[in-house]
Amino acid sequence: MDELIYTLKQQIIEALNLEDMKPEDIDENATLFGEGLGLDSIDALELIVMMEKNYGIKLKDPTQGKEIFKSVAVMADFIAKNRTK
Amino acid sequence: MIKHQVYISPSEVLVDGIPLNHNEKDSALLTELYRNHIGDYPKFFKMDTLSKLGFIASELLLNIEGNRDFEPREDRAVIFFNRNASLQADTHYQSTIQNPENFFPSPAAFVYTLPNIVTGEIAIRNKYFGETSFMVIDDYDEKIIMKNLENAFQDPITKSIIGGWVDCSDEEHFEARIYLMEND
Repeated sequence: MDELIYTLKQQIIEALNLEDMKPEDIDENATLFGEGLGLDSIDALELIVMMEKNYGIKLKDPTQGKEIFKSVAVMADFIAKNRTK
Repeated sequence: MIKHQVYISPSEVLVDGIPLNHNEKDSALLTELYRNHIGDYPKFFKMDTLSKLGFIASELLLNIEGNRDFEPREDRAVIFFNRNASLQADTHYQSTIQNPENFFPSPAAFVYTLPNIVTGEIAIRNKYFGETSFMVIDDYDEKIIMKNLENAFQDPITKSIIGGWVDCSDEEHFEARIYLMEND
């Protein structure tokens, strides 16, 4: 799981152009939206695309994102249980 | 009347006609200018090159004016012109949907597929609630640009304008020639 969390942090940084940020800078338990990384609604859509592209996960209901994107740790857990690639 | 002006090309930056020192060129130049003269707006890194160019040019312009209090105002318009519209962003977005086997439309790329996004970025940054517009014309034509900018002052609300030419076809070909104008 630690490896997945690290890879996921790298993919989030790349997908969302979080310049100047390293995987070590992201607390996997911190909230991604709002006060955490300060991501916005376009970032949420980009994360949905990233999950489909890298892990073959297609969210049937986009509102699921609210729960899944709570933190990197929650996201990694969801990916581990649902990935198809 | 033009109060201040900024010129940016891939290899030259002039602020009120005075060259600004830099080491980088092309789109890396814009990042260098951001780091050296702005640095407090990470949304910059998410922008397409056209928006980065317009954003940096406007920041350099407003830094000369000083008094950056970011208080909401309606009396300043943002009016730009160019030739290539949002061509670079359009091409980038197209690349995310070109291959049916690798079809992943990027929302972050899509949001920049209109040239007037750059005027919105500047208005959001500075809390401007006045006119914003972006006109696509055949080529750089100072007469057309100045005529349109002067006409914008016919609106009784508009007292000043950030306006001019902001054009980008790719990361190595761009030009901003913008002015801070006041009605007097």
